[in-house]
Amino acid sequence: MEEESGEELGLDRSTPKDFHFYHMDLYDSEDRPQLFPEENPRMRKEVVQAETANESTGAGDGKAQSDLREEVEELVHLYGLEDDHELGDEFVDENMPKMGVSEYPPYGMKRRDPAREQRDWRLSGEAAEAEDLGFGGWGSAGQCQDLREVYRYTHGRASEEYECYVIPEEEDEEEAADVFCVTCKTPIRAFQKVFDEHKEHEVIPLSEALESAKDEIHKNMYKLEKQIIDMENFANHLEEVFITVEENFGKQEQNFESHYNEILETLAQKYEEKIQALGEKKKERLEALYGQLVSCGENLDTCKELMETIEEMCHEEKVDFIKDAVAMADRLGKFLKTKTDVEISAQPDFEDQTLDFSDVEQLMDSINTIPAPSAPVINPQAPNSATGSSVRVCWSLYSDDTVESYQLSYRPVQDSSPGKDQAAPSPPIIKTKEIRSCEEAVLICWESGNLNPVDSYTVELTQAESPEASGVTESVVGIPTCESLVQLQPGQSYIIYVRALNMGGPSVRSEPATVHTIGSYFRLNKDTCHPWLAISQDGLTIIRSERSTPRREPPPSDTRFTRCVAVMGNLIPVRGHHYWEVEVNEHLDYTVGVAFEDVPKQEDLGANCLSWCMRHTFASSRHKYEFLHNRTTPDIRITVPPKKIGILLDYENSKLSFFNVDLSQHLYTFSCQLHKFVHPCFSLEKPGCLKIHNGISMPKHVTFY
Amino acid sequence: MALKQISSNKCFGGLQKVFEHDSVELNCKMKFAVYLPPKAETGKCPALYWLSGLTCTEQNFISKSGYHQAASEHGLVVIAPDTSPRGCNIKGEDESWDFGTGAGFYVDATEDPWKTNYRMYSYVTEELPQLINANFPVDPQRTSIFGHSMGGHGALICALKNPGKYKSVSAFAPICNPVLCPWGKKAFSGYLGTDQSKWKAYDATHLVKSYPGSQLDILIDQGKDDQFLLDGQLLPDNFIAACTEKKIPVVFRLQEGYDHSYYFIATFITDHIRHHAKYLNA
Repeated sequence: MEEESGEELGLDRSTPKDFHFYHMDLYDSEDRPQLFPEENPRMRKEVVQAETANESTGAGDGKAQSDLREEVEELVHLYGLEDDHELGDEFVDENMPKMGVSEYPPYGMKRRDPAREQRDWRLSGEAAEAEDLGFGGWGSAGQCQDLREVYRYTHGRASEEYECYVIPEEEDEEEAADVFCVTCKTPIRAFQKVFDEHKEHEVIPLSEALESAKDEIHKNMYKLEKQIIDMENFANHLEEVFITVEENFGKQEQNFESHYNEILETLAQKYEEKIQALGEKKKERLEALYGQLVSCGENLDTCKELMETIEEMCHEEKVDFIKDAVAMADRLGKFLKTKTDVEISAQPDFEDQTLDFSDVEQLMDSINTIPAPSAPVINPQAPNSATGSSVRVCWSLYSDDTVESYQLSYRPVQDSSPGKDQAAPSPPIIKTKEIRSCEEAVLICWESGNLNPVDSYTVELTQAESPEASGVTESVVGIPTCESLVQLQPGQSYIIYVRALNMGGPSVRSEPATVHTIGSYFRLNKDTCHPWLAISQDGLTIIRSERSTPRREPPPSDTRFTRCVAVMGNLIPVRGHHYWEVEVNEHLDYTVGVAFEDVPKQEDLGANCLSWCMRHTFASSRHKYEFLHNRTTPDIRITVPPKKIGILLDYENSKLSFFNVDLSQHLYTFSCQLHKFVHPCFSLEKPGCLKIHNGISMPKHVTFY
Repeated sequence: MALKQISSNKCFGGLQKVFEHDSVELNCKMKFAVYLPPKAETGKCPALYWLSGLTCTEQNFISKSGYHQAASEHGLVVIAPDTSPRGCNIKGEDESWDFGTGAGFYVDATEDPWKTNYRMYSYVTEELPQLINANFPVDPQRTSIFGHSMGGHGALICALKNPGKYKSVSAFAPICNPVLCPWGKKAFSGYLGTDQSKWKAYDATHLVKSYPGSQLDILIDQGKDDQFLLDGQLLPDNFIAACTEKKIPVVFRLQEGYDHSYYFIATFITDHIRHHAKYLNA
């Protein structure tokens, strides 16, 4: 008892206000709150009994436990946890009959079954460390507080949780259960490990067991949540399917109804027709028969008449008789000669009617077929979709239809163009030297070829050496100016013509120009060329010649380089990859790179942020390489001077790379923001020449960059 | 030779593994790291060897350099051995950080007490490749080598002493001219003795001067703020001059603000791997 009261006192600290009646001291006071008025006497009785028990610790424990059981039962009712049958029932069962003190010890000892342990676990709740429970202070307020909290926490959770684990309980006040036997799934006292059936079993500390219990709960919670989500998704899905079934049914119903009606109408029609035909036949036959009947009657009449005449004759005088007889004999002879038709002209039987239901059968069969689609709608003609000999037609489909194929047919319509008295224009002249291309497009420009203005131009292109030699000509119509950017396929060759168009019609084709979509083609722009540079005929070689006499600096200009002895190329304005090569001399001072069109022409290449370039300077037998942008360069040494420099301009990745082509060596890569289009640029700081090679597809080693 | 797997971690779709084995050349247990890219599951891949610098083990490169993404994308098997034999119980091997343990200098030592174990040159050029070729899906004809500092020196000398064996070579802050720098002098006198002619056989600058072999394309990155550069341990200028003379293609990049650390390596490792991929995947 002492221990118990010590317990109680010890746990006083955690006593919540409304549970202080559980304090041992209060058992004898009137403070017992209204909550459990009817229990008071019983509790008191137990207490008294316990106090008189003078039993071992087990007894005290047992009493405390049964106290607690009572309280638990009350709480069960209080919180409506009626489903926790195992809890309430046991308590009820055990509490009711077993009031005798003598029951306690064995009772206490017996109570090592899962049910009680279950309860104990719940009582301990979250903080069920051994130390909290101390030495079985079951009767204390602290325990009950824990209990209430536990119930709050576990209310509404799956009841199976309660079966999982066992939290150690204190059997004895000296030794609380402080370890957990995994094998038996029960808490035991440490020393029990050594003895008893737990000798061979695996044992883990209480806290661990508690943790794993919590984990298990959390896992189960998680599984349940997942299941909720799954079921909700499934329910949504079912709804959708439900709606779709309704829709599909509606369609089928409609379809069948119309077919069915059609069949019925056809059958009705057939019936009418057939009946009518039979009627006609009947009328026909009857008429024939009637005709026969009438002629038969006539025949009979004639026969009778003759008969009478003959009989009269037989009664005449011999002389008259002979006169008449001869006449009669003629008449008879004649009469009998006329054929009497005794064949019945019309048979009474109607032959069996064959009924032709083939079209009905057809209708029946077609019930299951897909209804014919609705007519497509042709889109209005798009600009640039027609050529002199072809037109691109687009149409859209009614979405409910199933379509296997389309049939396109056309016929020419009389062109109601106004007066053809105006002469067609002359063909334009393509500026072949100014064609710029890359792997995906070509930019062509031409001279009008006409003094008078024309309405528009048409560009026509065919693939050279294409298998369909009849030449699928693609054309671009309605071009207002003398240039056009046309998209092409990479790695092909094209032949291009241009026509001019006016009211009088189209001109003949211009002279052709050939374009190869391999690599990028560009030519140098003479307008940008510094006066001290000369450009070769083919537009690909830049020469700075020696001049003994010093030259005047040219006046500043926006298009022409004035300070830097440079020239720019005209690269096709298409974002993508562009690759070209420049042949240089080892001892040459040169700069190669790219620049925006509006790069300041009074500055050196690379001295501003509108240009990026590689500069080579050869002085005192030493090669210096700089990669300039905005006057800055990284510190790079190159041991083998390149003789041919490959330049890769990559708009997509915003990079400009330089390579030693002969060695497949990568030299340097700029990261550059290319918001506009750039053009290749070249300069010569000393006399010499640079030879440009283009139309080269990217070598493999370049593709790594 | 039996390989014992120490660890395996999935990385960028491939596997970073560490193995241990009994080395014949080094007479001790050696660890090495090997990265198998996703492509290795279905076919043989080229092999790229990384040699680490002073005080490193097989761990530094695989944890700090961030090379896995590039190796995975280019489909390269990357092998990183340790930098010296370990646990040999040689007197003096742990006395300094730049000689002995963690400082094998990729030579075959000729002096006692080092000559039994300190044969990193043969280990890297012979034993390890044989082991890798026998146990991993690599193409023995496509191999390249690179490294950092002492490992940069190792990569350069392995490539220069074995023309045609490596398709490409690159280095981060390599010790280019060891016979003239304090590190080299200390190591070579310890491993190789006082005969300087033996030293030259392991000096990249000297080897270049008599390099007869096939075209090499060398990429070198050097941090401008590298303390060891300023201390005269690395001497890249000598190497560049020799290469210019002999027309050996080198692109040497002096990187502003960068030092000797793995942060520097991590910044440019992708460029180096791409450099090797260009030749290994050609």
